[in-house]
Amino acid sequence: MRALRRLLAKVKNVATGRRADARLREEMEEHLAMQTEENERAGMTREEARRQAQIKLGAIEAIRDRYHEEEGLPLLECLWQDSRFTLRQMRKSPGFTLVTVLTMMLGIGATTAIFTIVYATLLRALPYPRADRIVRIHDVRLQGRSTGGLVGIPRFFDLAARSKSLASAGFFYFDDTTLIAGAQLPVAIKGAGTNAGFWQVFGVNPLLGRTFDQRNDQPNAPMVAVLSYAAWQRYFGGDPGVVGRQVTIEQKSTTIIGVMPKEFSVPAGIDLWRPAQLTPGAWTWRGEGSRFINVVARLAPGVSMESAQSELRRIGDQLRREHADTDGLWQFGMVGMRDDLYGELRPAILVLFIASGFVLLVACINVATLLLARAAAREREVALRRALGASERRIRLQFLTESTLLAITGGLAGLGATFLLVRTLAAKLPGRLAMAGTVEMNWPVLGFAVGLAVACGIGFGLAPAMRNRRPALNLDLKQNEMQVVGKTGGWARNAFISIQVAISLVLLVGASLLGESLWNLLKSPLGFQPEHVLTFRLVLPWNAKPDATREFYANVQRRLEALPGVIAVGQTSALPTEDWHARGNFDADWLPRSDHHDAVNAEVRSISGNLLQALGTPLLAGRELIPADGISKLLGAVVNRTFAQQYLPGGNLIGRRISDDTGSIEIVGVIADVRGTSGSIADKVGPEIYFSADGVTPNPRRSFVVRTQARPEQLVNSIREQVHHVDPQQAIADVATMDQLLDKAVAQPRLNMALMTAFAALTLMLACVGIYGVVAWTVAQRVREIGVRMALGATRSQISLFFLGRSVRATFWGVVAGTAAALLLTRLLRSQLYGVTADNPLVYAIAIPLLLVPVLTATLRPALHAASINPVDALRSE
Amino acid sequence: MKSKKDVQQGTLALMVLKTLETLGPLHGYGIARRIERISGDLLEVNQGTLYPVLLRLEQEGAVESDWGPSENNRRARFYRITRAGHKLLDSEKRDWEQTAAIIERFFQLKAGDWA
Repeated sequence: MRALRRLLAKVKNVATGRRADARLREEMEEHLAMQTEENERAGMTREEARRQAQIKLGAIEAIRDRYHEEEGLPLLECLWQDSRFTLRQMRKSPGFTLVTVLTMMLGIGATTAIFTIVYATLLRALPYPRADRIVRIHDVRLQGRSTGGLVGIPRFFDLAARSKSLASAGFFYFDDTTLIAGAQLPVAIKGAGTNAGFWQVFGVNPLLGRTFDQRNDQPNAPMVAVLSYAAWQRYFGGDPGVVGRQVTIEQKSTTIIGVMPKEFSVPAGIDLWRPAQLTPGAWTWRGEGSRFINVVARLAPGVSMESAQSELRRIGDQLRREHADTDGLWQFGMVGMRDDLYGELRPAILVLFIASGFVLLVACINVATLLLARAAAREREVALRRALGASERRIRLQFLTESTLLAITGGLAGLGATFLLVRTLAAKLPGRLAMAGTVEMNWPVLGFAVGLAVACGIGFGLAPAMRNRRPALNLDLKQNEMQVVGKTGGWARNAFISIQVAISLVLLVGASLLGESLWNLLKSPLGFQPEHVLTFRLVLPWNAKPDATREFYANVQRRLEALPGVIAVGQTSALPTEDWHARGNFDADWLPRSDHHDAVNAEVRSISGNLLQALGTPLLAGRELIPADGISKLLGAVVNRTFAQQYLPGGNLIGRRISDDTGSIEIVGVIADVRGTSGSIADKVGPEIYFSADGVTPNPRRSFVVRTQARPEQLVNSIREQVHHVDPQQAIADVATMDQLLDKAVAQPRLNMALMTAFAALTLMLACVGIYGVVAWTVAQRVREIGVRMALGATRSQISLFFLGRSVRATFWGVVAGTAAALLLTRLLRSQLYGVTADNPLVYAIAIPLLLVPVLTATLRPALHAASINPVDALRSE
Repeated sequence: MKSKKDVQQGTLALMVLKTLETLGPLHGYGIARRIERISGDLLEVNQGTLYPVLLRLEQEGAVESDWGPSENNRRARFYRITRAGHKLLDSEKRDWEQTAAIIERFFQLKAGDWA
């Protein structure tokens, strides 16, 4: 209470600028007068009385200082004084200020920019209430490849019925379809089918209207839909009266019942949600084709992640016993929602964060070196301050204030640069990172940048502050007469060179590895020719009549083939690079039967038209599929090369048969491996099998591949017209060239590579500038010594070698340490590499010369300059 | 940890308060003389240190001050103890007495008492 009162009084004094100095003076004057009178009465002479009174009162200036300290906030005033002094200094040496601020801007800007991504993906709470309780549940195959985590419908209902640790369980599947609102043309939209539980899992309230419940989720209930914010804006102009409107979705009359807020987008980029209207009893078939839903759940209150996980495993074990032939190889897996969304990105983000930290470290070292050099030049100033009575603390505070102010100025500049970067580039980031509300400037990012700047300022301010501790006042004051530089800090400067070289090497190696990976990713054979190919998708309703579906797609195929400039047209259930999973189990006539009927387990695609020619995928053996292969009694299928190598190495597959519960299939051809069939083109190609899309149950959802002579974009409008001619209810979706799809597929690795290369280049540049500065400064400080050496007979090359030798030794140790660190740190990169190993000696053989050339140039210049010094001038120099 | 200076300052503040309580409003010189008379050398050399202590007490609200005429009809600043000052003095006094009593007991211990 008293302390608070005292503080308030002090703050008030500081704020109002009140100083009771006059009052103190008057009081002390009065005091002296009274004491003098008293002394005179005791018999002293007037002068003696006055003198004794003064002695008794004490040092007036010291009392005034104490009084003033008591009156105000001395630390704050020191800071204020030092800040103003620093700002004056900064104005007086604009070159020094510019270099430091720019250096810090680069370091803090790089780190803050990456931190925006770190924060968005690894730190922030997802925008759902109690988001840490939401999990994603995967179906995991105990051996071989899984189906991208997709869960079988009957397994989901079994899980939901048996589990006690899940408060609610929801699912969604992608359900692309067409929307006709009022009298508008049909538009292709991205839809999701979900159960009612989906909404309970996330617990996000709609912006307008409501979400759907159990009653809407019954089979044959009237169709309803919930719009995403983006779709509401795009297709309904943000009309607040949209709730209750009737639209046509998938050729069915549907009522719009709600609009979700902007932040809610699960799955990412979706336009609307519709009830799946699936019930536990309605789905008895448990085979591979039932595996198409993504499962999310909210843990029941008080249930830990671990206990939920063990319960899932127990249920999985039960199902494996109960349905040995279909579920025997499957188990449930579970991860938190954040890990599910961003877990894949984590290693790359961490690597980039470390790399940006390295840039900052090198920047700090540069600034610290500069400050050290300045501190050395200011030794006289400091000695003078000390002689005038400045305390150790006071001087250290001054140095720290200076460095922190410099760092904060640089940090603010870096923050500004980051702000611009995020404003312009956030929406162009690959994949999920581009989602609105993900990577953005916010208070945590701001706090991070400012905190980092202050920490850096204190960090590199410590070096010069400590340097000036030696209280050898007389020596320092005389210093100018006998310049002996390099007595301290010499080892520190060499260590700085080594560290900068080592860090640059680590980043260069990282950048080379990522660069080589990207090169391999793009240049190793894709299994198709991406140039001059246009793709788009058509989706008919799931319950369209088989004849009508076959007829529609045959019509579109014919019309497109007739367009001028079209070379070939093909259809497939999923394009290369599309994240699409559909697997099948088969018995094979040349392999022993297995319990789970999975002698052959392969990714399954349905194709039609002239797909091989349209994609540019070579046929290796046998023949292509013909329409008859889909409808004859003995179905025909084509397999890929990996299938042939894995299941019948060295043998001839043509004419062999595989079978599932629907009948026998004859293998009629083998085609080349196509990379990216189920998403990532970095994945190893697995066995694949291609059926005709025009079978007894023809595929309603097909992607078209159109190979053209000229630029494929020119055909978009005529294709749209042709499709409209065939069926005016249909809209073409996701029009893109194959090149664009590939571009998207490598966007993340390319971003990683670009950032890493930028960081490596920045670091190398900063390191070279820093090393040049250190060597040049050492030479400048030793001009007189050089003169003496030359006068005593040293040759010019000896002088050069003297300076070169020190930096070359430091550089050598830097390369050694950097190689060791790179070997250790590139392990973190392993998951990001493609076609190159982290310890590839070739990478080092490239990176080390790439590093040494600029670094040695940076040392050579000032070393040569040292040799060109005229000894006579040098000796005269002061 | 309090440095020696802190302890002295704390004691000095206490003496100031006690002096003002007993003798009523006084100017700085008056306070210094009274303390000097009783405590001997504590203020022998540095009477001036009294003024920062007075300021501190004033900012804490324990004393008030105002200008008034001094004995030789000049202007002097007179300090007066406030109600908060009385309370402060009482509680500090209790603390001191307690501490003093404990220390006293320790110094009177003989070897036999430790057994």
